[in-house]
Amino acid sequence: MLAVAGLCKAFGGVRAVWDVSFAVAPGEILGLIGPNGSGKTTVFNLVAGALAADAGTITLDGRSITRLTPDRRNALGIARTYQHVRCLPHLSTTDNVAVAGLYGARPAASTGAARRAARALLERVGLGWAGGVPAGRLTVAERKRLEVARALATHPRLLLLDEPLAGLNPAEAAAALDLFARIRDEGTTLMIVEHNVGAVRSICGRVVVLNSGEKIAEGAPEAVLADARVMEVYLGERAPA
Amino acid sequence: MRGAAAAALALGLLAAVPVLTGRSAVLNWLFLVLLHAGIAQSWNLLAGFGGQVNLGHAAFFGLGAVVARILWLDGAAVPWALFAGVAAAGAAGLLIGAPSLRLRGAYFAIGTLALAEILRITFANAMPEVSALSAAQLGDYALAPRYYLALLLAAGTTTVAWGFSASRFGLGLAAIREDEDVAAAIGIPTFRQKLLALLASTVFAGLAGGVFAYYHLSFYPSFAFSPIWTFDALIITFLGGVGTVWGPVVGAAFFILVREALALRLAELHLLIFGVLFVLVVVAFPGGLMQAGAALGRRLGAPARPAQRPQQG
Ligand SMILES: Nc1ncnc2c1ncn2[C@@H]1O[C@H](COP(=O)(O)OP(=O)(O)OP(=O)(O)O)[C@@H](O)[C@H]1O
Ligand SMILES: [Mg+2]
Repeated sequence: MLAVAGLCKAFGGVRAVWDVSFAVAPGEILGLIGPNGSGKTTVFNLVAGALAADAGTITLDGRSITRLTPDRRNALGIARTYQHVRCLPHLSTTDNVAVAGLYGARPAASTGAARRAARALLERVGLGWAGGVPAGRLTVAERKRLEVARALATHPRLLLLDEPLAGLNPAEAAAALDLFARIRDEGTTLMIVEHNVGAVRSICGRVVVLNSGEKIAEGAPEAVLADARVMEVYLGERAPA
Repeated sequence: MRGAAAAALALGLLAAVPVLTGRSAVLNWLFLVLLHAGIAQSWNLLAGFGGQVNLGHAAFFGLGAVVARILWLDGAAVPWALFAGVAAAGAAGLLIGAPSLRLRGAYFAIGTLALAEILRITFANAMPEVSALSAAQLGDYALAPRYYLALLLAAGTTTVAWGFSASRFGLGLAAIREDEDVAAAIGIPTFRQKLLALLASTVFAGLAGGVFAYYHLSFYPSFAFSPIWTFDALIITFLGGVGTVWGPVVGAAFFILVREALALRLAELHLLIFGVLFVLVVVAFPGGLMQAGAALGRRLGAPARPAQRPQQG
Protein backbone atom coordinates (compact mmCIF):
# COMPACT_ATOMS: atom_id res chain seq x y z
CA MET A 1 0.00 0.00 0.00
CA LEU A 2 2.92 2.33 0.77
CA ALA A 3 5.93 2.56 -1.53
CA VAL A 4 9.01 4.62 -0.79
CA ALA A 5 11.62 5.08 -3.52
CA GLY A 6 15.01 6.78 -3.37
CA LEU A 7 14.13 8.71 -0.25
CA CYS A 8 16.81 11.19 0.91
CA LYS A 9 16.97 13.66 3.78
CA ALA A 10 20.03 15.51 5.03
CA PHE A 11 20.38 17.85 8.01
CA GLY A 12 23.26 20.16 7.21
CA GLY A 13 26.03 17.69 6.41
CA VAL A 14 24.34 14.72 8.12
CA ARG A 15 22.79 12.21 5.72
CA ALA A 16 19.96 11.12 8.01
CA VAL A 17 18.23 9.08 5.29
CA TRP A 18 20.02 8.18 2.08
CA ASP A 19 18.47 6.57 -0.98
CA VAL A 20 16.07 4.39 0.98
CA SER A 21 13.46 2.33 -0.85
CA PHE A 22 10.96 -0.16 0.53
CA ALA A 23 7.32 -1.12 0.24
CA VAL A 24 4.68 -1.97 2.80
CA ALA A 25 2.06 -4.59 1.91
CA PRO A 26 -1.51 -4.23 3.13
CA GLY A 27 -2.16 -6.11 6.38
CA GLU A 28 1.45 -6.69 7.35
CA ILE A 29 3.48 -5.55 10.34
CA LEU A 30 6.77 -4.21 9.06
CA GLY A 31 9.62 -3.65 11.53
CA LEU A 32 12.05 -0.79 10.96
CA ILE A 33 15.21 -1.39 12.95
CA GLY A 34 18.75 -0.10 13.18
CA PRO A 35 21.16 1.41 15.68
CA ASN A 36 20.67 4.81 17.30
CA GLY A 37 20.81 7.65 14.82
CA SER A 38 20.36 5.36 11.81
CA GLY A 39 17.42 7.39 10.46
CA LYS A 40 14.36 5.41 11.60
CA THR A 41 12.49 8.36 13.08
CA THR A 42 13.43 10.50 10.11
CA VAL A 43 11.83 7.91 7.79
CA PHE A 44 8.62 8.16 9.84
CA ASN A 45 8.75 11.96 9.70
CA LEU A 46 9.13 11.80 5.92
CA VAL A 47 6.29 9.30 5.46
CA ALA A 48 3.94 11.22 7.78
CA GLY A 49 4.89 14.54 6.19
CA ALA A 50 6.38 16.22 9.27
CA LEU A 51 9.55 16.65 7.18
CA ALA A 52 9.82 17.31 3.45
CA ALA A 53 12.03 14.89 1.51
CA ASP A 54 15.11 16.27 -0.29
CA ALA A 55 14.66 13.62 -2.98
CA GLY A 56 12.63 10.49 -3.63
CA THR A 57 8.95 9.69 -3.80
CA ILE A 58 6.35 8.34 -1.40
CA THR A 59 3.22 6.76 -2.83
CA LEU A 60 0.14 5.57 -1.02
CA ASP A 61 -1.98 3.13 -3.04
CA GLY A 62 -0.38 4.37 -6.25
CA ARG A 63 -0.96 8.03 -5.51
CA SER A 64 2.04 10.28 -4.84
CA ILE A 65 1.83 11.92 -1.42
CA THR A 66 5.40 13.26 -1.48
CA ARG A 67 4.29 16.88 -1.47
CA LEU A 68 1.21 16.66 0.70
CA THR A 69 0.98 18.33 4.10
CA PRO A 70 0.81 16.06 7.16
CA ASP A 71 -2.89 16.75 7.70
CA ARG A 72 -3.71 15.68 4.12
CA ARG A 73 -1.67 12.49 4.60
CA ASN A 74 -3.53 11.76 7.81
CA ALA A 75 -6.83 12.30 6.01
CA LEU A 76 -5.65 9.69 3.49
CA GLY A 77 -5.04 7.22 6.30
CA ILE A 78 -1.51 7.63 7.69
CA ALA A 79 -1.30 8.06 11.47
CA ARG A 80 1.72 8.04 13.76
CA THR A 81 2.94 8.03 17.34
CA TYR A 82 6.06 9.77 18.62
CA GLN A 83 9.22 8.28 20.07
CA HIS A 84 9.31 11.12 22.60
CA VAL A 85 5.67 11.23 23.65
CA ARG A 86 3.67 14.29 22.66
CA CYS A 87 0.20 14.90 24.02
CA LEU A 88 -2.08 17.94 24.15
CA PRO A 89 -1.25 18.55 27.83
CA HIS A 90 -4.04 20.93 28.89
CA LEU A 91 -6.84 19.04 27.15
CA SER A 92 -8.53 16.16 28.91
CA THR A 93 -7.43 12.67 27.96
CA THR A 94 -10.82 12.19 26.31
CA ASP A 95 -10.49 15.37 24.25
CA ASN A 96 -6.97 14.39 23.16
CA VAL A 97 -8.57 11.42 21.42
CA ALA A 98 -11.89 13.08 20.52
CA VAL A 99 -10.25 15.87 18.53
CA ALA A 100 -8.42 13.25 16.46
CA GLY A 101 -11.78 11.59 15.80
CA LEU A 102 -13.28 14.89 14.66
CA TYR A 103 -10.60 15.19 11.98
CA GLY A 104 -8.59 12.28 10.60
CA ALA A 105 -9.68 10.04 7.74
CA ARG A 106 -13.32 9.63 8.77
CA PRO A 107 -14.40 12.63 10.84
CA ALA A 108 -17.04 11.92 13.49
CA ALA A 109 -20.47 13.46 12.93
CA SER A 110 -20.47 15.48 16.16
CA THR A 111 -18.34 16.29 19.18
CA GLY A 112 -20.63 14.05 21.24
CA ALA A 113 -20.07 11.10 18.91
CA ALA A 114 -16.32 11.77 18.89
CA ARG A 115 -16.19 11.81 22.69
CA ARG A 116 -18.14 8.55 22.93
CA ALA A 117 -15.77 6.91 20.45
CA ALA A 118 -12.82 8.38 22.36
CA ARG A 119 -13.98 6.85 25.64
CA ALA A 120 -14.28 3.44 23.97
CA LEU A 121 -10.74 3.74 22.57
CA LEU A 122 -9.41 4.80 25.97
CA GLU A 123 -11.02 1.70 27.52
CA ARG A 124 -9.29 -0.33 24.87
CA VAL A 125 -5.81 0.94 25.76
CA GLY A 126 -6.51 0.68 29.50
CA LEU A 127 -7.04 4.40 30.15
CA GLY A 128 -10.77 4.25 30.74
CA TRP A 129 -10.31 5.69 34.22
CA ALA A 130 -8.38 8.74 32.96
CA GLY A 131 -10.89 10.38 30.60
CA GLY A 132 -11.34 13.53 32.67
CA VAL A 133 -7.69 13.97 33.61
CA PRO A 134 -5.60 16.56 31.73
CA ALA A 135 -3.27 14.53 29.52
CA GLY A 136 -0.24 16.36 30.92
CA ARG A 137 -0.82 14.64 34.28
CA LEU A 138 -0.44 11.12 32.88
CA THR A 139 2.80 9.17 33.29
CA VAL A 140 5.00 8.63 30.25
CA ALA A 141 3.83 5.02 29.93
CA GLU A 142 0.20 6.16 30.05
CA ARG A 143 0.84 8.86 27.46
CA LYS A 144 2.30 6.21 25.14
CA ARG A 145 -1.02 4.39 25.28
CA LEU A 146 -2.86 7.67 24.83
CA GLU A 147 -0.87 8.26 21.64
CA VAL A 148 -2.00 4.89 20.27
CA ALA A 149 -5.64 5.70 21.06
CA ARG A 150 -5.27 9.14 19.47
CA ALA A 151 -3.76 7.68 16.31
CA LEU A 152 -6.47 5.00 16.10
CA ALA A 153 -9.17 7.67 16.44
CA THR A 154 -8.19 9.05 13.03
CA HIS A 155 -9.12 5.66 11.42
CA PRO A 156 -5.69 4.98 9.92
CA ARG A 157 -5.01 2.43 7.23
CA LEU A 158 -1.29 2.69 7.96
CA LEU A 159 -0.12 3.22 11.54
CA LEU A 160 3.47 4.24 12.27
CA LEU A 161 4.59 3.35 15.82
CA ASP A 162 7.94 4.83 16.92
CA GLU A 163 9.40 2.77 19.79
CA PRO A 164 6.00 2.05 21.33
CA LEU A 165 7.45 -0.33 23.93
CA ALA A 166 10.26 1.87 25.26
CA GLY A 167 9.84 2.48 28.98
CA LEU A 168 7.10 -0.13 29.43
CA ASN A 169 7.53 -2.99 31.93
CA PRO A 170 7.35 -6.58 30.55
CA ALA A 171 3.65 -6.98 31.39
CA GLU A 172 2.77 -3.66 29.76
CA ALA A 173 4.89 -4.51 26.72
CA ALA A 174 3.15 -7.87 26.31
CA ALA A 175 -0.25 -6.17 26.51
CA ALA A 176 0.86 -3.60 23.94
CA LEU A 177 2.06 -6.30 21.52
CA ASP A 178 -1.29 -8.02 21.95
CA LEU A 179 -3.07 -4.80 21.11
CA PHE A 180 -0.94 -4.21 18.00
CA ALA A 181 -1.67 -7.71 16.72
CA ARG A 182 -5.40 -7.08 17.16
CA ILE A 183 -5.18 -3.72 15.41
CA ARG A 184 -3.54 -5.48 12.48
CA ASP A 185 -6.20 -8.20 12.50
CA GLU A 186 -8.83 -5.49 12.23
CA GLY A 187 -7.30 -4.36 8.96
CA THR A 188 -4.77 -1.65 9.81
CA THR A 189 -1.28 -2.02 8.40
CA LEU A 190 1.54 -1.32 10.86
CA MET A 191 5.10 -0.11 10.71
CA ILE A 192 7.00 -0.38 13.98
CA VAL A 193 10.34 1.07 14.99
CA GLU A 194 11.59 -0.98 17.91
CA HIS A 195 14.89 -1.75 19.61
CA ASN A 196 13.50 -4.75 21.46
CA VAL A 197 14.58 -7.55 19.13
CA GLY A 198 12.46 -10.13 20.92
CA ALA A 199 9.37 -8.07 20.25
CA VAL A 200 10.36 -7.54 16.63
CA ARG A 201 10.78 -11.30 16.17
CA SER A 202 7.42 -12.04 17.72
CA ILE A 203 5.26 -9.54 15.89
CA CYS A 204 6.88 -8.40 12.63
CA GLY A 205 6.34 -10.36 9.45
CA ARG A 206 9.19 -8.54 7.78
CA VAL A 207 11.90 -6.08 8.79
CA VAL A 208 13.90 -3.35 7.10
CA VAL A 209 17.28 -2.55 8.62
CA LEU A 210 18.82 0.91 8.45
CA ASN A 211 22.40 1.89 9.23
CA SER A 212 23.71 5.44 8.94
CA GLY A 213 20.67 6.39 6.89
CA GLU A 214 21.01 3.55 4.37
CA LYS A 215 19.04 0.36 4.04
CA ILE A 216 21.37 -2.59 4.62
CA ALA A 217 18.94 -5.49 4.80
CA GLU A 218 15.31 -6.47 4.34
CA GLY A 219 13.40 -9.71 4.83
CA ALA A 220 11.98 -12.13 7.39
CA PRO A 221 13.14 -11.32 10.95
CA GLU A 222 14.96 -14.63 11.50
CA ALA A 223 16.94 -14.33 8.27
CA VAL A 224 17.70 -10.63 8.63
CA LEU A 225 18.78 -10.84 12.26
CA ALA A 226 21.17 -13.67 11.35
CA ASP A 227 22.69 -11.61 8.52
CA ALA A 228 26.40 -10.91 9.05
CA ARG A 229 26.18 -7.20 8.26
CA VAL A 230 23.24 -6.71 10.58
CA MET A 231 25.03 -8.62 13.37
CA GLU A 232 28.08 -6.44 12.89
CA VAL A 233 26.07 -3.21 12.98
CA TYR A 234 24.28 -4.31 16.13
CA LEU A 235 27.33 -5.74 17.88
CA GLY A 236 29.15 -2.51 17.14
CA GLU A 237 26.38 -0.69 18.96
CA ARG A 238 24.92 -3.10 21.45
CA ALA A 239 24.13 -6.79 21.52
CA PRO A 240 20.62 -7.74 20.40
CA ALA A 241 18.52 -8.89 23.34
CA MET B 1 -27.90 25.33 29.54
CA ARG B 2 -27.78 27.17 32.89
CA GLY B 3 -24.91 29.17 31.45
CA ALA B 4 -26.94 30.07 28.36
CA ALA B 5 -29.89 31.13 30.52
CA ALA B 6 -27.64 33.30 32.70
CA ALA B 7 -26.08 34.86 29.60
CA ALA B 8 -29.52 35.61 28.11
CA LEU B 9 -30.63 37.19 31.39
CA ALA B 10 -27.48 39.36 31.57
CA LEU B 11 -27.99 40.40 27.95
CA GLY B 12 -31.61 41.35 28.67
CA LEU B 13 -30.63 43.40 31.72
CA LEU B 14 -27.87 45.19 29.82
CA ALA B 15 -30.26 45.92 26.96
CA ALA B 16 -32.71 47.47 29.43
CA VAL B 17 -30.17 49.82 31.05
CA PRO B 18 -30.67 52.80 28.65
CA VAL B 19 -34.42 52.54 29.22
CA LEU B 20 -34.10 52.38 32.99
CA THR B 21 -31.57 55.14 33.52
CA GLY B 22 -30.87 58.42 31.82
CA ARG B 23 -27.62 58.86 33.74
CA SER B 24 -24.86 59.14 31.17
CA ALA B 25 -22.17 58.26 33.76
CA VAL B 26 -23.62 54.75 34.14
CA LEU B 27 -24.05 54.34 30.41
CA ASN B 28 -20.54 55.63 29.69
CA TRP B 29 -19.05 53.26 32.22
CA LEU B 30 -20.91 50.27 30.82
CA PHE B 31 -20.01 51.35 27.28
CA LEU B 32 -16.33 51.26 28.17
CA VAL B 33 -16.67 47.82 29.78
CA LEU B 34 -18.48 46.43 26.73
CA LEU B 35 -16.03 48.01 24.25
CA HIS B 36 -13.05 46.61 26.14
CA ALA B 37 -14.72 43.23 26.56
CA GLY B 38 -15.15 43.22 22.77
CA ILE B 39 -11.53 44.15 22.01
CA ALA B 40 -10.17 41.67 24.54
CA GLN B 41 -12.48 38.89 23.40
CA SER B 42 -11.50 39.47 19.77
CA TRP B 43 -7.85 39.06 20.77
CA ASN B 44 -8.74 35.99 22.84
CA LEU B 45 -10.38 34.28 19.84
CA LEU B 46 -7.02 33.73 18.18
CA ALA B 47 -4.48 33.98 21.01
CA GLY B 48 -6.47 32.34 23.79
CA PHE B 49 -8.14 29.59 21.80
CA GLY B 50 -5.52 29.12 19.08
CA GLY B 51 -2.27 30.08 20.83
CA GLN B 52 -1.21 32.53 18.09
CA VAL B 53 -0.03 35.68 19.84
CA ASN B 54 -1.01 38.83 17.98
CA LEU B 55 1.11 41.74 19.25
CA GLY B 56 -0.41 44.21 16.79
CA HIS B 57 -4.11 43.99 17.51
CA ALA B 58 -4.15 47.80 17.43
CA ALA B 59 -3.56 47.63 13.66
CA PHE B 60 -6.98 46.06 13.09
CA PHE B 61 -8.73 48.15 15.73
CA GLY B 62 -7.18 51.27 14.17
CA LEU B 63 -8.14 50.36 10.60
CA GLY B 64 -11.71 49.73 11.68
CA ALA B 65 -11.76 53.03 13.57
CA VAL B 66 -10.20 55.26 10.94
CA VAL B 67 -12.06 53.82 7.93
CA ALA B 68 -15.42 53.97 9.73
CA ARG B 69 -14.72 57.49 11.03
CA ILE B 70 -13.76 58.92 7.63
CA LEU B 71 -16.81 57.45 5.90
CA TRP B 72 -19.18 58.40 8.69
CA LEU B 73 -17.97 62.00 8.88
CA ASP B 74 -18.23 62.07 5.08
CA GLY B 75 -21.93 61.33 5.41
CA ALA B 76 -22.09 57.56 4.93
CA ALA B 77 -24.75 55.66 6.92
CA VAL B 78 -23.30 54.27 10.16
CA PRO B 79 -23.80 50.58 9.29
CA TRP B 80 -21.98 51.05 6.00
CA ALA B 81 -19.15 52.94 7.63
CA LEU B 82 -18.78 50.21 10.25
CA PHE B 83 -18.93 47.50 7.61
CA ALA B 84 -16.18 49.14 5.54
CA GLY B 85 -13.98 49.35 8.65
CA VAL B 86 -14.63 45.70 9.43
CA ALA B 87 -13.76 44.73 5.84
CA ALA B 88 -10.53 46.73 5.95
CA ALA B 89 -9.48 45.10 9.23
CA GLY B 90 -10.33 41.60 7.99
CA ALA B 91 -8.46 42.14 4.73
CA ALA B 92 -5.39 43.36 6.64
CA GLY B 93 -5.65 40.26 8.83
CA LEU B 94 -5.63 37.94 5.83
CA LEU B 95 -2.74 39.86 4.24
CA ILE B 96 -0.51 39.59 7.31
CA GLY B 97 -1.67 36.07 8.23
CA ALA B 98 -1.35 34.39 4.84
CA PRO B 99 2.46 34.48 4.83
CA SER B 100 3.24 34.56 8.55
CA LEU B 101 0.86 31.87 9.82
CA ARG B 102 2.46 29.35 7.45
CA LEU B 103 5.64 29.68 9.49
CA ARG B 104 6.30 28.57 13.03
CA GLY B 105 7.86 30.70 15.69
CA ALA B 106 7.76 34.44 16.23
CA TYR B 107 7.00 35.53 12.65
CA PHE B 108 3.33 36.16 13.30
CA ALA B 109 3.90 38.03 16.58
CA ILE B 110 6.61 40.21 15.04
CA GLY B 111 4.70 40.72 11.80
CA THR B 112 1.58 41.99 13.56
CA LEU B 113 3.65 44.19 15.90
CA ALA B 114 5.41 45.75 12.92
CA LEU B 115 2.16 46.25 11.01
CA ALA B 116 0.60 48.18 13.90
CA GLU B 117 3.62 50.43 14.31
CA ILE B 118 3.91 51.10 10.57
CA LEU B 119 0.23 52.03 10.41
CA ARG B 120 0.48 54.24 13.50
CA ILE B 121 3.41 56.20 12.08
CA THR B 122 1.81 56.40 8.64
CA PHE B 123 -1.44 57.80 9.99
CA ALA B 124 0.40 60.19 12.30
CA ASN B 125 2.04 61.67 9.19
CA ALA B 126 -0.83 61.41 6.72
CA MET B 127 -3.59 62.56 9.08
CA PRO B 128 -1.96 64.69 11.76
CA GLU B 129 -5.12 66.69 12.50
CA VAL B 130 -7.47 65.70 15.28
CA SER B 131 -10.73 64.21 14.00
CA ALA B 132 -13.62 66.05 15.62
CA LEU B 133 -17.39 66.02 15.15
CA SER B 134 -19.08 68.97 13.51
CA ALA B 135 -21.50 71.13 15.48
CA ALA B 136 -24.44 69.47 13.72
CA GLN B 137 -23.15 66.00 14.60
CA LEU B 138 -22.61 67.08 18.20
CA GLY B 139 -26.20 68.29 18.31
CA ASP B 140 -27.43 64.88 17.12
CA TYR B 141 -25.20 62.93 19.50
CA ALA B 142 -26.94 60.33 21.67
CA LEU B 143 -25.26 57.77 23.89
CA ALA B 144 -27.82 54.97 23.62
CA PRO B 145 -27.07 53.88 20.01
CA ARG B 146 -23.33 53.77 20.84
CA TYR B 147 -24.11 51.72 23.89
CA TYR B 148 -26.19 49.22 21.92
CA LEU B 149 -23.43 48.85 19.33
CA ALA B 150 -20.93 48.08 22.09
CA LEU B 151 -23.37 45.56 23.53
CA LEU B 152 -23.71 43.94 20.11
CA LEU B 153 -19.91 43.83 19.83
CA ALA B 154 -19.40 42.22 23.24
CA ALA B 155 -22.27 39.77 22.74
CA GLY B 156 -21.13 38.90 19.20
CA THR B 157 -17.51 38.21 20.12
CA THR B 158 -18.52 36.24 23.20
CA THR B 159 -20.99 34.15 21.18
CA VAL B 160 -18.20 33.29 18.75
CA ALA B 161 -15.91 32.46 21.68
CA TRP B 162 -18.60 30.18 23.06
CA GLY B 163 -18.85 28.56 19.62
CA PHE B 164 -15.09 28.01 19.64
CA SER B 165 -15.23 26.42 23.09
CA ALA B 166 -17.89 23.89 22.13
CA SER B 167 -17.17 22.92 18.54
CA ARG B 168 -14.98 20.81 16.30
CA PHE B 169 -13.30 23.96 15.00
CA GLY B 170 -12.56 25.10 18.56
CA LEU B 171 -11.17 21.73 19.63
CA GLY B 172 -8.98 21.80 16.53
CA LEU B 173 -7.73 25.26 17.49
CA ALA B 174 -7.00 24.04 21.01
CA ALA B 175 -4.97 21.18 19.58
CA ILE B 176 -2.99 23.66 17.45
CA ARG B 177 -2.33 25.75 20.56
CA GLU B 178 -1.16 22.68 22.51
CA ASP B 179 1.09 21.15 19.85
CA GLU B 180 0.89 22.17 16.22
CA ASP B 181 2.80 19.12 14.92
CA VAL B 182 0.44 16.74 16.71
CA ALA B 183 -2.53 18.74 15.42
CA ALA B 184 -1.35 18.35 11.83
CA ALA B 185 -0.62 14.66 12.37
CA ILE B 186 -4.23 14.00 13.40
CA GLY B 187 -5.56 15.65 10.27
CA ILE B 188 -6.21 19.24 11.36
CA PRO B 189 -5.59 21.72 8.51
CA THR B 190 -3.55 23.94 10.80
CA PHE B 191 -2.88 26.86 8.46
CA ARG B 192 -6.49 27.17 7.34
CA GLN B 193 -7.81 27.02 10.90
CA LYS B 194 -5.35 29.63 12.15
CA LEU B 195 -6.21 31.93 9.24
CA LEU B 196 -9.96 31.58 9.85
CA ALA B 197 -9.52 32.31 13.56
CA LEU B 198 -7.39 35.34 12.66
CA LEU B 199 -10.13 36.53 10.30
CA ALA B 200 -12.74 36.28 13.07
CA SER B 201 -10.37 38.06 15.46
CA THR B 202 -9.51 40.95 13.12
CA VAL B 203 -13.08 41.43 11.89
CA PHE B 204 -14.25 41.95 15.48
CA ALA B 205 -11.23 44.16 16.25
CA GLY B 206 -12.29 46.28 13.27
CA LEU B 207 -15.85 46.45 14.57
CA ALA B 208 -14.53 47.49 17.99
CA GLY B 209 -12.54 50.25 16.28
CA GLY B 210 -15.66 51.38 14.41
CA VAL B 211 -17.68 51.53 17.63
CA PHE B 212 -14.90 53.57 19.24
CA ALA B 213 -14.86 55.94 16.24
CA TYR B 214 -18.62 56.39 16.40
CA TYR B 215 -18.46 57.04 20.16
CA HIS B 216 -15.58 59.44 20.52
CA LEU B 217 -16.13 63.16 20.05
CA SER B 218 -12.54 63.76 18.99
CA PHE B 219 -9.34 61.75 18.65
CA TYR B 220 -6.13 61.75 16.65
CA PRO B 221 -6.32 59.03 13.97
CA SER B 222 -2.90 57.69 14.98
CA PHE B 223 -4.20 57.17 18.53
CA ALA B 224 -6.45 54.40 17.20
CA PHE B 225 -3.25 52.50 16.31
CA SER B 226 -1.61 53.04 19.70
CA PRO B 227 -0.04 49.92 21.25
CA ILE B 228 -2.26 50.62 24.25
CA TRP B 229 -5.15 48.88 22.44
CA THR B 230 -3.09 45.73 22.00
CA PHE B 231 -1.82 45.68 25.53
CA ASP B 232 -5.15 46.51 27.12
CA ALA B 233 -6.69 43.59 25.20
CA LEU B 234 -3.86 41.32 26.31
CA ILE B 235 -3.92 42.41 29.96
CA ILE B 236 -7.72 42.20 30.21
CA THR B 237 -7.72 38.72 28.71
CA PHE B 238 -5.03 37.45 31.06
CA LEU B 239 -6.64 39.14 34.07
CA GLY B 240 -9.96 37.46 33.30
CA GLY B 241 -8.71 34.12 32.02
CA VAL B 242 -7.01 33.51 28.68
CA GLY B 243 -8.67 30.94 26.43
CA THR B 244 -11.95 31.02 28.39
CA VAL B 245 -15.33 32.27 27.15
CA TRP B 246 -16.05 34.67 30.03
CA GLY B 247 -12.51 35.71 30.99
CA PRO B 248 -12.35 38.79 28.72
CA VAL B 249 -15.78 39.98 29.93
CA VAL B 250 -14.92 39.60 33.61
CA GLY B 251 -11.46 41.05 32.98
CA ALA B 252 -12.91 44.09 31.19
CA ALA B 253 -15.30 44.90 34.03
CA PHE B 254 -12.47 44.61 36.55
CA PHE B 255 -10.06 46.59 34.37
CA ILE B 256 -12.44 49.51 33.75
CA LEU B 257 -13.48 49.52 37.40
CA VAL B 258 -9.88 49.86 38.57
CA ARG B 259 -8.94 52.28 35.80
CA GLU B 260 -11.84 54.62 36.39
CA ALA B 261 -11.59 54.36 40.19
CA LEU B 262 -7.93 55.36 40.07
CA ALA B 263 -8.70 57.94 37.36
CA LEU B 264 -5.73 56.59 35.43
CA ARG B 265 -5.50 58.98 32.54
CA LEU B 266 -1.75 58.95 32.24
CA ALA B 267 -0.62 56.24 29.88
CA GLU B 268 2.64 55.53 31.71
CA LEU B 269 1.06 55.18 35.13
CA HIS B 270 -1.71 53.09 33.61
CA LEU B 271 0.84 50.69 32.12
CA LEU B 272 2.81 50.53 35.37
CA ILE B 273 -0.19 49.75 37.57
CA PHE B 274 -1.74 47.26 35.21
CA GLY B 275 1.64 45.71 34.50
CA VAL B 276 2.11 44.98 38.18
CA LEU B 277 -1.48 43.81 38.60
CA PHE B 278 -1.09 41.59 35.57
CA VAL B 279 2.02 39.91 36.97
CA LEU B 280 0.40 39.42 40.39
CA VAL B 281 -2.74 37.80 39.01
CA VAL B 282 -0.94 35.66 36.47
CA VAL B 283 1.56 34.37 39.04
CA ALA B 284 -1.14 33.58 41.62
CA PHE B 285 -3.78 32.39 39.13
CA PRO B 286 -2.42 31.57 35.66
CA GLY B 287 -6.05 31.06 34.64
CA GLY B 288 -6.98 34.61 35.73
CA LEU B 289 -10.08 35.69 37.64
CA MET B 290 -12.08 32.82 36.11
CA GLN B 291 -9.72 30.35 37.75
CA ALA B 292 -9.75 32.29 41.03
CA GLY B 293 -13.56 32.20 41.00
CA ALA B 294 -13.61 28.47 40.27
CA ALA B 295 -11.13 27.84 43.11
CA LEU B 296 -13.34 29.82 45.47
CA GLY B 297 -16.38 27.87 44.29
CA ARG B 298 -14.62 24.59 45.07
CA ARG B 299 -13.67 25.88 48.52
CA LEU B 300 -17.31 26.58 49.28
CA GLY B 301 -18.81 23.52 47.61
CA ALA B 302 -17.92 19.84 47.77
CA PRO B 303 -14.39 19.00 46.61
CA ALA B 304 -14.24 17.13 43.31
CA ARG B 305 -12.92 13.58 43.56
CA PRO B 306 -9.82 13.19 41.39
CA ALA B 307 -9.65 10.24 38.99
CA GLN B 308 -7.83 7.25 40.48
CA ARG B 309 -5.30 5.04 38.74
CA PRO B 310 -6.38 1.43 39.13
CA GLN B 311 -4.04 -0.51 41.43
CA GLN B 312 -1.57 -2.67 39.56
CA GLY B 313 -2.38 -6.35 40.18
N1 LIG C 1 15.47 17.71 13.09
C1 LIG C 1 16.76 17.33 12.98
N2 LIG C 1 17.73 18.26 12.84
C2 LIG C 1 19.02 17.89 12.72
N3 LIG C 1 19.45 16.62 12.72
C3 LIG C 1 18.53 15.65 12.87
C4 LIG C 1 17.14 15.95 13.01
N4 LIG C 1 16.45 14.80 13.13
C5 LIG C 1 17.37 13.82 13.08
N5 LIG C 1 18.62 14.32 12.92
C6 LIG C 1 19.85 13.53 12.77
O1 LIG C 1 19.60 12.56 11.79
C7 LIG C 1 20.16 11.31 12.15
C8 LIG C 1 19.08 10.26 12.20
O2 LIG C 1 18.22 10.54 13.31
P1 LIG C 1 16.92 9.71 13.63
O3 LIG C 1 16.26 10.38 14.77
O4 LIG C 1 16.14 9.52 12.40
O5 LIG C 1 17.52 8.33 14.11
P2 LIG C 1 16.81 7.08 14.79
O6 LIG C 1 17.19 5.90 13.98
O7 LIG C 1 15.39 7.34 15.01
O8 LIG C 1 17.59 7.01 16.18
P3 LIG C 1 17.08 6.55 17.63
O9 LIG C 1 17.15 5.06 17.66
O10 LIG C 1 18.08 7.15 18.55
O11 LIG C 1 15.73 7.09 17.82
C9 LIG C 1 20.87 11.52 13.47
O12 LIG C 1 22.23 11.79 13.18
C10 LIG C 1 20.20 12.76 14.03
O13 LIG C 1 21.09 13.48 14.85
MG1 LIG D 1 14.20 7.52 16.64
